[in-house]
Amino acid sequence: MADRRPIYLMSPALAWLTAFMVVPCLLILVLGFFRRGIYGGIEYTFTLENMALVFDPLYAGIFLKSAVIAGLAASIAVVIGYAAAYAIASMPARRQPILLFFAVLPFWSNYLVRTYAWIVLLNREGLIVALARYLGFEGELPSMLYTESAVVVGLVYNYLPFVILACYAPLSRLNTEIVEASRDLGASGWTTFRRITLPMTVPGIATGFVFVFVLSIGNFVTPALLGGGQFQMIGNLVYAQFLTANDWPFGAALSMVLIAIMMGLLTLQTFATERASGARRVEG
Amino acid sequence: MSKALLSIRDTSKHFGTVRAVDEISLDIMENEFFALLGASGSGKTTLLRLLGGFEFPDSGSILLDGEDISRIPPNHRPINLMFQSYALFPHMSVAQNIAYGLEMEKLPRPEIDARVNEVLDIIQLSGLAQRKPDQLSGGQRQRVALARALVKRPRLLLLDEPLGALDKKLRSEMQLELKRIQDKFGITFIVVTHDQEEALVMADRIAILKDGQLLQCGSPHEIYEHPQTRYAAGFIGTMNFFPVHLSGKTLVMDDGGRISAAIPEGLTEGSEAVAAVRPERLHLAHKAYKNKLTGRISAIAYHGLDLQLHIEAAASPQPVMVRLTADEAEGQPLSIGDDVTVGWSAENTRVFRD
Ligand SMILES: Nc1ncnc2c1ncn2[C@@H]1O[C@H](COP(=O)(O)OP(=O)(O)OP(=O)(O)O)[C@@H](O)[C@H]1O
Ligand SMILES: [Mg+2]
Repeated sequence: MADRRPIYLMSPALAWLTAFMVVPCLLILVLGFFRRGIYGGIEYTFTLENMALVFDPLYAGIFLKSAVIAGLAASIAVVIGYAAAYAIASMPARRQPILLFFAVLPFWSNYLVRTYAWIVLLNREGLIVALARYLGFEGELPSMLYTESAVVVGLVYNYLPFVILACYAPLSRLNTEIVEASRDLGASGWTTFRRITLPMTVPGIATGFVFVFVLSIGNFVTPALLGGGQFQMIGNLVYAQFLTANDWPFGAALSMVLIAIMMGLLTLQTFATERASGARRVEG
Repeated sequence: MSKALLSIRDTSKHFGTVRAVDEISLDIMENEFFALLGASGSGKTTLLRLLGGFEFPDSGSILLDGEDISRIPPNHRPINLMFQSYALFPHMSVAQNIAYGLEMEKLPRPEIDARVNEVLDIIQLSGLAQRKPDQLSGGQRQRVALARALVKRPRLLLLDEPLGALDKKLRSEMQLELKRIQDKFGITFIVVTHDQEEALVMADRIAILKDGQLLQCGSPHEIYEHPQTRYAAGFIGTMNFFPVHLSGKTLVMDDGGRISAAIPEGLTEGSEAVAAVRPERLHLAHKAYKNKLTGRISAIAYHGLDLQLHIEAAASPQPVMVRLTADEAEGQPLSIGDDVTVGWSAENTRVFRD
């Protein structure tokens, strides 16, 4: 008889996931195919209108822009985060935990507070402008707050610790003898990085990228605070449908598409991880 | 005599207070199969890493063909190291692993392919060229690691416990295989091992390290028959040790028996020493020998070709080991509990102070 214990151990988590993930997702899925009531309620008749509306150029455009911003944020976060993780992993082993602790420290403060801090830095009378003035800059400074760049900066800043942790894991596990073997066979430091270290740590990069992308594309706090009122990402749109426009079915349809995109990416990431971790044993 | 390919001169490497390599001087000849032998922590890996360029010496110098290479980075040395862990690249196939070092030399693709195939043939892994390292057995991985280093045709190949991960049978096969490959390529090998039998079988010369220092260096025969220290005597092969003291001009064992042997310089009247003799040098036909010892047989073990006796004797705190050839044992009614006398010659007795 097979050992049943794993099932018992998993069951609390499974019950939790079913109650608070699977059921709400199914509800949203169903909701997306109903009609909106005249006074904001839900009319329980089947329709594809909401789905069609998602692909309307107006809304598809917002999807696209969100994806571009999320992609930009994820790319920048991966470059900065990988470099930081690499630096930490090359430090003497006993100093690494403390460095990681500092890298992750901002995480322990509130997301809103951290984002507000950027308003203090970026606004017209903010610290960055003050610094420029102090250094003798006279002219009119371009507005920094309430731009797409500000949103990207905010997202990168907030999710960077994730990337550092995700990249640090495979980098710290990398056997130093493998790197030395590459040098021994005649490769320079840079070639070794490009041909050995980087390919072997792709899983960390993929995880970090997908993480930042997924969290960014659905984010509504950062665009609302740093992007200003006029700037919308898909998260803001969903938020508005549920809370101000009272169009739950359309909000649900938008959410479904967003979830589908995220699922697709997570699947891709799993593939990337599996490929990089070497081929499975196929034959005996 | 051929000239020295590699000269290690008064080289030291310290890690904090640990003297991992302590003032070692050593010449390695062209085409030599050289073994570094020592207990765990004796500095074998550190010495190889100094030669490979992964550590730089704190003092002393390392000359290759008369040129000081001790500060040259590993990728600019015509020396390759086969790592203790093999260090194969897990994301590359066997063929890609082997081709890597040639790609670094910027050789044309057809030449790379030809050389990879040639070496795959030699290590008999042509059929597995497309496999990833984690689809190989331990012995196959070891051969790939060897091929990856060999294909570069280095002046000097360093092998850190190349057979450490293999089982006993595969080990003895690979020992001969390594010899054959070294012969074929005409490359100088330095092999690290802590298996003394392996060193005796494979090496042209052996160096014994202890606590970062070079204890003795010589041919397997020299090391086996003429160990210069008690440590070296006990480290290589099996050795019987008898406590002795000098009385007049002769050595006296604890059972009162006198033995003749070359007395080490500086041994004074009454001072303690230890006499050492190999099990195969002890014979039942003791009448022909000057040195004798009597005891009671406590164990008998047949090994096919030979027979081992353990003898409890007053002369030795540990059981005395005797190895008899089948011829010698023939017609001798030996059983546990019997009293026996064994004899040996003065030439085969080594005496160490301490
Ligand atoms: N990077 C290092 N930092 C500090 N100490 C080290 C380092 N490398 C080696 N040592 C020390 O130097 C000594 C020699 O180590 P080395 O690895 O050369 O031994 P070895 O003979 O190869 O042993 P083994 O047979 O176990 O592989 C040991 O005491 C070891 O602890
Ligand atoms: Mg070692």
